[in-house]
Amino acid sequence: MMDFKLVIPLASSLLATGAFGSTEIIGSVDSKCIIVSETPGVYGNPNPYQLTTAPSSGGVKPIIRYDVLVADYYKAVIDHPEEFTSSPTLDDVVTWTGDVTVSEVSDTNMSDYDTNKVEYNNSHEYELTVSGSTWFTVSSTADYGSTKSFPAGQYTAVVEAECIPL
Amino acid sequence: MYSALKRFLLFFLLVASGPAMAHELIPTYPKLEQSYVPNVYQTKVKMWNGRIDVEYYKVEVTDSEWNPVPFITNEQIFRLEYMERRDIEIFVPSSSKVTYICTRSMLEKGNPQKSVISSKVCSKIK
Repeated sequence: MMDFKLVIPLASSLLATGAFGSTEIIGSVDSKCIIVSETPGVYGNPNPYQLTTAPSSGGVKPIIRYDVLVADYYKAVIDHPEEFTSSPTLDDVVTWTGDVTVSEVSDTNMSDYDTNKVEYNNSHEYELTVSGSTWFTVSSTADYGSTKSFPAGQYTAVVEAECIPL
Repeated sequence: MYSALKRFLLFFLLVASGPAMAHELIPTYPKLEQSYVPNVYQTKVKMWNGRIDVEYYKVEVTDSEWNPVPFITNEQIFRLEYMERRDIEIFVPSSSKVTYICTRSMLEKGNPQKSVISSKVCSKIK
């Protein structure tokens, strides 16, 4: 005598397998911006009154990578530092200079990003008109007083990297 | 052959090292919808923390001129472990002119790095 308790689930399992003979894989590409902090950067101290990210002076320039999946959806805004976020007490003026440049691109069509960038105050604004990766290098120099020596201690300055939808 | 191998290695290194310090917010253009509370809209964004050097992020909601807009969310400053994702639900009054929803990395005081990078990624309500 056949056990129907076993036959019924087996039959329905076979039917179910037949019903799902083909499977779809569905995917979509959405716009997306990813900011990647590749190199944090370090200040060198070539002169007592100066901190600089220049490699020739013992510094390391911060490098930030922007990845965009779809062109014309985002702009990158990068601010080089204009103040220390932490430092010993300073009683004189610090003069800040800095710049942001495109150092590497994944697509040759990005080569005019530097030409087309908009600068205001310490901000550098780039429209990301090509999909792919763009590497931005930031330089920063802080001069203290009129060639006055920086007090000993730890100094921290922040580079702000923003990705804003258009 | 050597050139193909070099290209593969370069691609591998880029992919392997890239997400180590990344910050992402999706979708680019979220939509405001009526919430279960009258006169309050809600939307949801999703954040991914690929920055091993950052554990805390802050939610910012602004109008088109970058003026802060009042909003409610679970935690305005939240902890997000490396490689974790978080759904962020945001509630705003229906009368408010919300344009940007952003997450900004919070840098800890006493960070040993002498220069650090703060990242901010935004979504836009169109």
